[in-house]
Amino acid sequence: MHETAIVSGLMRILEQKAARNGVAHISSVLLKVGRLQAVEPQQLVACFEMFAEGTVADGAELVIYVVGVRGRCRACATEFDVPRFHFECPACAGSDIEVIQGQELYIESFEASSVSSVNNVKARADV
Amino acid sequence: MCDNCGCNVTDANRHLLENDEHHTIEVLENLLHENDIQADHNRAHFEDHGVFAVNIMSGPGSGKTSLLEATIHALPPGLRIAVIEGDLETENDAERIRRHGVPAIQITTGMACHLDAHMVHEALHELDLTGIDILFIENVGNLVCPASFDIGQHRNVLLLSVTEGDDKPAKYPIMFRAGDQVLITKTDLLPYIEEFSMARARASVRAVRGDMPIIELSSKNGNGMEQWIAWLVQSVAEQKIAA
Ligand SMILES: Nc1nc2c(ncn2[C@@H]2O[C@H](COP(=O)(O)OP(=O)(O)OP(=O)(O)O)[C@@H](O)[C@H]2O)c(=O)[nH]1
Ligand SMILES: [Mg+2]
Ligand SMILES: [Zn+2]
Ligand SMILES: [Zn+2]
Repeated sequence: MHETAIVSGLMRILEQKAARNGVAHISSVLLKVGRLQAVEPQQLVACFEMFAEGTVADGAELVIYVVGVRGRCRACATEFDVPRFHFECPACAGSDIEVIQGQELYIESFEASSVSSVNNVKARADV
Repeated sequence: MCDNCGCNVTDANRHLLENDEHHTIEVLENLLHENDIQADHNRAHFEDHGVFAVNIMSGPGSGKTSLLEATIHALPPGLRIAVIEGDLETENDAERIRRHGVPAIQITTGMACHLDAHMVHEALHELDLTGIDILFIENVGNLVCPASFDIGQHRNVLLLSVTEGDDKPAKYPIMFRAGDQVLITKTDLLPYIEEFSMARARASVRAVRGDMPIIELSSKNGNGMEQWIAWLVQSVAEQKIAA
């Protein structure tokens, strides 16, 4: 279950960012996950729901944007969508393919639905 | 401007924070960021000691530990090795290696189906790399996710045993694509497994990475071992030049 490792990284980042931005509650999180990452979206969501309980992201929706694999042929520079992990250039049949998309595994953004009053006071105080 | 230190709170956007309304906070941070930092640290540690680090990966039981045992005996004198073993449970594999007089540290991952950079780092605290040329890190037997976690290795070696079927690379393309070298193991069993086609296995590997080098070998009868040893010796030499 490496989804737990990935989700604990996700929670760490969310809690840090939320604290720094004075966010009291997160309503949704947008993840970009490339198809070359061995990650099962459904398992990520289930795992996230568990980990988020009682945190700033409790009940937040995890939106996963799956990014397809794109390659660039090193021989002829053609760029193409890689079908079913078959890394062959459609133009020259070359097999030396650089992956230009599909390795993503990051948080794009999150939606903050409210801001903690403590932080509001601080923000006003240092104006 | 960054989201790390609060410097993104400006007069222009402060009202967004103060008004109790929805707003989007951009993050753009990799989920395995901490692992990657630790992996770079491990790699630097290997390079300080002139060590070539190899991550050995395969499905369960493809012959990783047997390959290491055979390798210990086939390496030219003067090349010194150490081993880190990753398994869900048991010290068995490390004990098998130690029996040959090679230092071995066992990591038991419990629940985790892969090694990560922090686990390897902990094991390094118990392992003196002075005078070591090659560190083998045997990952948890699993074809799904170990390749997603950088552990600080210089090279990934993927094993496919003839008993697993020649279509495994097509079924687990992400793992096989991550390899720098593929070894087709247990070739002594080929006469008994007529379903396994070496041509199909090679084509299946090459569909995910066309230039993948492939060595066929048997740890049991020693066939093909000299090619594997030659790859290791050459990789060690290249690593010493690069460092
Ligand atoms: N015939 C034959 N059997 C082999 C060979 N290599 C390994 N085996 C057998 O395959 C089984 C598994 O080998 P291991 O070396 O333990 O495999 P492993 O990949 O380390 O296994 P895990 O660490 O549990 O994933 C053992 O019974 C070995 O004796 C080989 O080259 N030929
Ligand atoms: Mg083993
Ligand atoms: Zn895993
Ligand atoms: Zn091409």
